[in-house]
Amino acid sequence: MTTLHAIMRHAFSTSIAAALLAGAAALSPLPVQAGSCCGGGSATSLLVPRYAWGVADLSFDTELYDGYWNQEGTHKSDPPGSDLRQYRLNLGYAQRFASDWQASVTLPYVWNDNSYSGLSSRSNGLGDTTVSLWYEALVDNSAWRIRHPQDLIPGITLGLSLLLPTGISPYDDVTSSFDVTGRGFYRLDGNLLIEKTVQPWNLSLQLGYGTHFERPVNREYGRYVEPYHKQLGDRFSGSLSVGYNYYLGAGGDTLTGTASYVYLHEGDASINGSPDRTSGFHKQSFGGGLTYSNTDRDWSIRAAWNHAIQENGWGKNFPTTDIITVGVRYVFR
Amino acid sequence: MYFVRLCSLILTLSLLAGCGDNLLPSGEDQRPPVQTGTTGPAVGQQAPVFSVADTNGNIFTLTSALANRKAIVLYFTMWCPICDAHASNLQEVIPSFPTVGFYLVDYVSGTVADARSAMIADGFADSGFTTLADIGNHLLFGFQGTMGSTVVIDSGGTILLNEDYKDGTRLQAVLASLP
Repeated sequence: MTTLHAIMRHAFSTSIAAALLAGAAALSPLPVQAGSCCGGGSATSLLVPRYAWGVADLSFDTELYDGYWNQEGTHKSDPPGSDLRQYRLNLGYAQRFASDWQASVTLPYVWNDNSYSGLSSRSNGLGDTTVSLWYEALVDNSAWRIRHPQDLIPGITLGLSLLLPTGISPYDDVTSSFDVTGRGFYRLDGNLLIEKTVQPWNLSLQLGYGTHFERPVNREYGRYVEPYHKQLGDRFSGSLSVGYNYYLGAGGDTLTGTASYVYLHEGDASINGSPDRTSGFHKQSFGGGLTYSNTDRDWSIRAAWNHAIQENGWGKNFPTTDIITVGVRYVFR
Repeated sequence: MYFVRLCSLILTLSLLAGCGDNLLPSGEDQRPPVQTGTTGPAVGQQAPVFSVADTNGNIFTLTSALANRKAIVLYFTMWCPICDAHASNLQEVIPSFPTVGFYLVDYVSGTVADARSAMIADGFADSGFTTLADIGNHLLFGFQGTMGSTVVIDSGGTILLNEDYKDGTRLQAVLASLP
């Protein structure tokens, strides 16, 4: 009985990590500027479970564009006959280098595929890379039932992420906005992840605040221009998700379902220190996902869907998209 | 496992090494010298001639567009969020320059009817702009335009500005300097 209890506890604790990862996967890859018009190639947060020392992750996003919100928050349609898409292959690796510390890197590769009634364009290139450092400040003990006060302690993870402008930006030697796969700016984000599991439920809150670094610009879409300095606005992101672990049979395989709400806001950019009132945006979206993990919790596969509400008031100055993600992850013990 | 980590590191460094100018961006002014008297999309050059229909089917040429005006402004739109923001911002500028013609260039629609539908759906009918349906992308290629490109051509057909709209400050400065 004791052995069975130990096995169950192990299964539960590992599933927490899977749920956390599933939640993070569903929530973190906020689609930064959409595709063809404004850049793209988002990164995915990647966290190593407590019982492991490394994680490798491969995911594929399909982002489908369907209209946008203008600056007043009114939802508008795309032009007649348009079919706008972006595909992203995200390669990620995370490594635990101390008991509470880990680091990760994610590299997206981006394909833009845009068709209008009078113009078509296909292009591809590396997206913007994210490197992150994470500290696990508190560990959730993943209680099955609340028996002691310490069972209420949530897991808290603090992180710093640096977005590297490795993608093709408007300031590179490109001739069209359709070729853009990145934004061209460094950004430093502070991240806070709070997660609590009371089996089989999981609740997580992820908050992030980032600031872009100012950069000089002397070229726009391949054409040299009078140099100026530009800085994108500060960015706030928040997501709330709830997950449920379902144990498949007696073998210990799990299926984790996650539902999430995501909020993203970016302030106005500045040009030579003056605010650019045409640039700030915000977006709200909802998501759902399923993650299957094997008994040993070393392999997992997942599918997720993020949907932006195509109604007035749910965003501003940003495309409305659906993002479908499929991914596979391997945990190194 | 050491091998896996080494490969990951090498792959990462290789990919980063192949990146463009963004990792170490330059602020150096590298604009080429203006070649006056030639035809092309650059500032100082003569604007390429064009003949394109607006969303009502009326034909506009460079000559007819410039007639009795100090200048014209071409804004390239693909009816996207930032295009909408720029055009709305630009719309506020129009009353200040009554002798300047303002044109939205729709370079993504394949027919005049599609361009007209997009213009109406985005709320730019009766906006002070004339929307040109750049079927065949003659304007797009002639001016090397893309999303947000803003071109100012003076009454003599000389290009005074051809760059991203940004916040519109440079456009207004160019228009304010018109004789």
